[in-house]
Amino acid sequence: MKQILAVDDSMSMRMLLRASLTAAGFKVEEAEDGRAALEWLDNNSPTLVITDINMPRLDGFGLIAELRARDRFRDIPVLVLTTESSPEKKARAREAGATGWIVKPFDPEKLAAAVRRVTH
Amino acid sequence: MLSALATEPRTRRHTIMQGESEVSSDQRMVLSTVLGSCIACCLFDPTLALGGMNHFLLPTPPEGRGEDRGEAERYGIYAMEVLVNAMLTRGASRATMRAHLYGGANLHEGMRAIGSKNAQFARDFLAADRIQLVREDTGGVLARRLELQPASGRVRCRHVAEHVPDGRPAAPPPSSGHVELF
Repeated sequence: MKQILAVDDSMSMRMLLRASLTAAGFKVEEAEDGRAALEWLDNNSPTLVITDINMPRLDGFGLIAELRARDRFRDIPVLVLTTESSPEKKARAREAGATGWIVKPFDPEKLAAAVRRVTH
Repeated sequence: MLSALATEPRTRRHTIMQGESEVSSDQRMVLSTVLGSCIACCLFDPTLALGGMNHFLLPTPPEGRGEDRGEAERYGIYAMEVLVNAMLTRGASRATMRAHLYGGANLHEGMRAIGSKNAQFARDFLAADRIQLVREDTGGVLARRLELQPASGRVRCRHVAEHVPDGRPAAPPPSSGHVELF
């Protein structure tokens, strides 16, 4: 079963992600911000990371940059899931190495389809 | 601390419809809405003089309805996330934010539990997100007219006896649910 790391500082949103992606056949782990994600990733290798942008300690941009700087995660798919929709922030995420951009509130079926597409 | 809203001249009014969220630090802005069984959450960060309001219909989409574009925004699980994120992106923090909850009336016999379930959902969300709930006026059988001055956090909530339907749904944000793979 493919493992996904869901990174979001909202516990409710993490619960929603877990419910949606578990129902779609994925195993979901959670981290509450970018720093917590990196700590978990020290000992784990998921298939995909889904991350929010606005988070304390280390935001989504910082998390993507940290991942791309590490050989082990240079090619891991990273989907950004955010309420942000500004072209500037989307471009910044793309330049940092994000694989895709999904605007909240998400459609569970579209999210699962995007996950399948980038993890095939 | 949020307190009663005084009537002031030269105000700019914006009505928050179902599924809509708005955050502002404009001292002239007054956000208002009408609530039956719906819930409005007001957030205020006194360190920034920044506040906001949302308005949602139900906690979560009924089975099979969450996929509809334009539907999702009407549900609390999304509306709360959007409001909290809007506050956070303007510099607020969960530690300093204060929350009020209004609405959740049980207006009709056959809908007795809806208002109460809405209010419980909002309480649970705030607790899970570690945002302090400092005032709540929910339940009962009367609709409410709510006003928030976001820059001061001042609130006025009046119970109204006449039948007042919850505000009509807002048009969905054009980008919500959009998926783009790079």
